Amino acid sequence: MKFPIRCASLIAWPFSFLVIVIALAAAGCAGPSASSQQQQERALIQALRSDAPPDQKAITCKKLAIYGTDAAVPALAPLLADERFASWARTALEAIPGPASDKALRTAAGKLHGKLLAGVVNSIGVRRDAAAVSLLARLLNDSDPAVASAAAVSLGKIGGPKAARALRSALGNAPESVRPAVAEGCVRCAENFLADAKNADAILLYDAVRQAAVPEPKILEGIRGAILARGSAGVPLLLEQLNSNDRSRFNIGLRVARELPGSAATEAVAGAYRAAAPDRQPLLLLALADRGDAAATAVVTEAAANGGKQTRRAAIAILDNAGDSSALPVLLKDASDQDPDISQPSLAALVRLPGSDVDAQLSDRLGDSSGRMRQTLMTIAARRGIEKALPLIVQSVGDAEAETRDAAVQALTTLGGSNEVAALAQALEKSDNPAERAHVQKGLVTLSGRIGTNGVPSLLPLLRSAEPENRKGALRALAAAGGNDALAAVAAATKDKDPSCQDEAVRALSTWPNAWPEDEAVMEPLLRTAKTDTNSSHVILALRGYLEFLLGNEKLKSEDKLARVREVIPLLQRPQEKLTAIAVLQAIPSPAALELLEAFASEPAVADDACAALVQAATQNAPSISPDLRRIALQLAVQISTNEEIKRKAGEALKHLQ
Amino acid sequence: MNTSRNAAGQRSGRAFTRRRFLKSTFKAGGWLLAPQIVRGSVLGLNGAVPPSERIVLGGIGLGGRGTYDLSCFLGETDVQFVAVCDVKAERREAIKKKADEKYGNQACAMYRDLRDLLARDDIDAVLIATGPNWHATASILAAEAGKDVYCEKPCTKNIAQSVALRDAFRRTGRVFQAGTQRRSLPNFMFAVELARRGKLGQLQTLYAHPAGLATSMSGWAPAEPAPPREEVDWDLYLGPAAWRPFNKKLLDGFNFEKGGGLTGGGCLEWGSHCVDLCQWANDADQTAPIEYEPQGDELHARYANGVKLVMRDHGWIGLGSCPVRFEGSAGWVETGDDGDLAASAPALLSGKSAKVSGYPANFHVRDFLDCVKSRARTRANAEAACQSHITCHAANIALFLKRKVSYDPVTNSFLGDEQANRLRSEALREPWRL
Repeated sequence: MKFPIRCASLIAWPFSFLVIVIALAAAGCAGPSASSQQQQERALIQALRSDAPPDQKAITCKKLAIYGTDAAVPALAPLLADERFASWARTALEAIPGPASDKALRTAAGKLHGKLLAGVVNSIGVRRDAAAVSLLARLLNDSDPAVASAAAVSLGKIGGPKAARALRSALGNAPESVRPAVAEGCVRCAENFLADAKNADAILLYDAVRQAAVPEPKILEGIRGAILARGSAGVPLLLEQLNSNDRSRFNIGLRVARELPGSAATEAVAGAYRAAAPDRQPLLLLALADRGDAAATAVVTEAAANGGKQTRRAAIAILDNAGDSSALPVLLKDASDQDPDISQPSLAALVRLPGSDVDAQLSDRLGDSSGRMRQTLMTIAARRGIEKALPLIVQSVGDAEAETRDAAVQALTTLGGSNEVAALAQALEKSDNPAERAHVQKGLVTLSGRIGTNGVPSLLPLLRSAEPENRKGALRALAAAGGNDALAAVAAATKDKDPSCQDEAVRALSTWPNAWPEDEAVMEPLLRTAKTDTNSSHVILALRGYLEFLLGNEKLKSEDKLARVREVIPLLQRPQEKLTAIAVLQAIPSPAALELLEAFASEPAVADDACAALVQAATQNAPSISPDLRRIALQLAVQISTNEEIKRKAGEALKHLQ
Repeated sequence: MNTSRNAAGQRSGRAFTRRRFLKSTFKAGGWLLAPQIVRGSVLGLNGAVPPSERIVLGGIGLGGRGTYDLSCFLGETDVQFVAVCDVKAERREAIKKKADEKYGNQACAMYRDLRDLLARDDIDAVLIATGPNWHATASILAAEAGKDVYCEKPCTKNIAQSVALRDAFRRTGRVFQAGTQRRSLPNFMFAVELARRGKLGQLQTLYAHPAGLATSMSGWAPAEPAPPREEVDWDLYLGPAAWRPFNKKLLDGFNFEKGGGLTGGGCLEWGSHCVDLCQWANDADQTAPIEYEPQGDELHARYANGVKLVMRDHGWIGLGSCPVRFEGSAGWVETGDDGDLAASAPALLSGKSAKVSGYPANFHVRDFLDCVKSRARTRANAEAACQSHITCHAANIALFLKRKVSYDPVTNSFLGDEQANRLRSEALREPWRL
C-alpha cells in the first residue's frame, strides 16, 4: 500500500476533502517508499493529536480510512468519545484491517454510553468482530434502547451460536422498544446460518421471531425466512399464508411464492390459485408465473382461456411477457373475443410473441381461416411483417365478407409492396360497392405513398379503367407515389375525357409535393394549365399550386423565382393568388422584386399586404437594394397603407435610413 | 390583415407534404413492439378505488423532485397520501398544503423525524426524496418498519450501502422501486428490448452518458448559527453523514453528501440512470462489470460476458439528455430523453410505440403501485438498483484512484486491491446504521 501525504492546507468549503484526497491518490500512484509512507502516516497522526481545526481533523480521518494502518489506531481511538469526530474516526477504524481497530472499538464500548456507544457498537457489527459477542450480549441489557438495539443488530451481523442464543433469549425478555431490533438481529443471524448451510439453526431463529411478541413486519420476516429455510418442507407454511384472510400474511405469501424453489412449491401455488377467490386469482397467477417454472405454463394458458375477466387479463399479460409459440392458440382465441379488454391485449401479445415458428404457424392458420379469425390473423400478419402471408391476404381482398375485405386492405397497406399495389388496383376495378371502393382507394393511396415509385407501374393501368372513380383513385395514388412517370400520367390526365377526372388531375398537380428534385417538373404542367386551360377553376388551382410551389421551394434561385412570378402576374385575377405572389416576392432580395411589390401596392385589395411586404423587403439585408430604393418603398408604404402598424414600422425604418 | 401570417401559413402548408408524411412511416417488418407500459390494469385497478383498498402513502423529504413524484402518486386513484416528514418546516407545510388541497381536508400529518412517520401502522408505502445522503438509510429503516419504498436516485452513497439496501429488501420481503423512471419509458424500454432479445446480434458495447465524470460534492463549511430545530433540524438533516457545523449552504440536500463525501459527480448522478439502463440491456441486474479503467476522458468497464461499458460525455447523436447506445454485432440503437430512437436500420424500429418525451415518472410510479399490490418485483427493484449503483461506485473508485480496478460481483470486493476495498464503505454517524 502506498499513500504519500503532502502538507497541503485544507481548503474549507466546498470541496475540501475531495481536492485533498484526490491529490493524495494521484500522488499515491507515483509509488513512494515504505518509509516515506510511514513518515507521512506519522504526520497524519500528529495532525489528529494536534489542535488543528476540526475540518482538518475530519479530513485526516478520511485519509487514514484509505491509507492508515494499526499505527493510526491509538490516535483515532480517543476521537470516539468526541461527538464531532466519532463517526469520522469510525470510518477509519472500520476500514483499517487488523486486530488493533477491533480492540480499540471494544475498549471504547466499555467506556462510552448513549449514542456514542451505539455508534461504536454499530462499527463492531460492520467489522463482524466475533470477539465482541460477549460484550454485545451484555449490552443487550443496556438501559438505553438505542444501545441495546445496536447491540442486537450487531450480534445478528456477527452471527454464530453464541450470538443466536443471546438474541433468542432477548427476544422474550427485552423491553418492547428493543424487541424489533432483537428480531432484526435474529433474522440477520439466521441469514448467516443459512449462508453456512445451517438451516436447522436458522429455522430455530425464524420460528422464534414469527412466534414472538414483536411488530407485524418482524413476524412477516420470520415467516418468510421460516418458509425459505425449510425448502420444500416449508410449503405448508407457505400455503397457510396464501390461504390467510389477513392481507399482510397473504402478501408475504405472494412474495415467498416467487422465492421458494421446487416443483412442490409450484404445485402448491397453482393449487392455491385454483382454490382462491376471484379477486385473489390474478395475484396468485402473477406470482405463479414469476416462478419461471414450466409447470406453470399450463395453468396460465388455462386461465387465459377460461378464467374470469381479470384473471384472463392477467394471464394474457403473462403470456405477453413470457409466452412462446405454445401460447398461440389461446391468444388467437382471445384476440377474437368480442370484449376489447380481452381482444386488444391478446392482439398486442400476438404481435410480440417470440419464436421462429410463430410466423409459420400464423401463415398456416390464415389459409384455413375465415370470418373474424381471418381478419385477426391478417392484422397480426401485417404487424409482424409476415410477407409469406401476402398472397392469402391479397386473396381476401375479394372475400365475400365486407369486414374481411377491409381487414385485408388494411393489412396490405401495412405490409404490401408493388405486387400488392396491383392487387388493390384490381380490387378497385372489380368492386361495385362505393363504401368498399373508398376503403380500397384509401389503402391504395397509403400503400403507394409508402412504397413510392415502385408501385407506379401497377397504378398506370388503372388510368385506363372505364370507371371515372377508379381513374380518380389512381390519380390520388400516383400523386402519393410521386416520380416522373406518375407526374407525366397525372399531367396527361388533365385532358381526361371525364371532367371530374380532369379536376382530380389538376388538384393533384396543384398540391404536388416539393420534397424531391424530380418534383420540380410539376411546374411545367401547372404553368401550361394556368395559361391554356379554359376551365377557370383549373386556372385558379394551377396558379395557386404554381405559386405555392415557388414559395415552398428553397432550391430555386431568386432570379428564377422572380422571372416565374413575373410571367404569371398577368394571369392573376383574384386577391388570394396575388397574396401568394406577394409572399414569394417578399423573400426575394432584389430591386426588381421591390418594383413588383410597389405595383401590387397600388391595388387596393392587396395594398396592405404589399405594403407590409415592402417594409419587409426594404429592411432586409440585401446589398443590391440601394438606400434610395428602400426609401421609396418605405415612403410608399407610409402613404398607401391603411394599417397603422405597417405605417409605424415603415416610418421607423425611414428614420433609421436617415 | 396580417401579411406575415398569410405567408407563414402558406409556407407551412406546403412544407409538410402528403407524400413526405407517408414516407416517414416505417414499414412494419418485425414482430417486436414496445413492452407494455402499464401492467396494473390487469389487476383491475382502473377507475375509482374505495378508501379501504387504497395504498396509504407517506412522504419523506419532499423537495422539488419529491413534489413532482408526489404529484405522480396523487394522480393515481388507488393512492391516499396521509403524512409528510421533513427536517425543514417550510417543506413540511408546503406538502401538507398540497395534499390537503387534493383531498379537501386537513388530514395530512406532519413529522420532523422519519422514525415517527415510519411507526404508523396504517402507512403501506413511503416516497423517499430526501437528499442522497439519506436515501439508503431511510429506505432500509422503512423496509425494517414494514413499508414498501419508492426512493429517488442515487439510492446509495457507496458499495456497502448498495449491498445493504438489496439485502434489507430481500430480508424483509418489501417492495422497492428506485426512482430511475427511464426503466418505465417506452423508448428506453424498446431499446433495451432490442438488446436483450438479440435484435442487435451479439451485444458488444454499451454507452452511457454520465454528464461529467469529474467528482463533485459538498464538504465542510464554516460554522454559522443554526436555526431553531423546529425550523431546520440540523442533526436530523446530517443524519447518517459525519458531523460538521451548520451552514445554510449545505442545506441543498440534492448535492449534500452524495457519494459519501468522497466520490459522486455525474458518474453517480446520471449513471444511476444511464448506467442502470446499460445494466438492464446487458441482462446484468444480478451482477456488475468486473473491470473498470479510466481511459482519457472516458471510463471503460467490462462485464464477465465480454460486453464493454463505456461512460463518455461525447459522441452522441443528440437525442436529448441521458442518452444510451447499445451496439451489437448486427446493429445498434441509441435513444435519449427526447423520446426518439435512432438505429442502424429502420426495420429495427418497426413497432415502436408512441413517443413519450420529458422523462415523466408516472409510468414508473404506476409500476411501483402495481407491485405493492401484487408483491412482484418492480422494474427498478432493489437488486437491480444495487448492481447499477455498484457499477457507478466502482467506476468512481477507478476514477478516484486514476487506475484500473478489478471487481468481484459475487463477493462484492476488489481483487487484491486494499485501497479500492477501503473505499467501499463509510461509517454512519451514530445512532444510524444499515
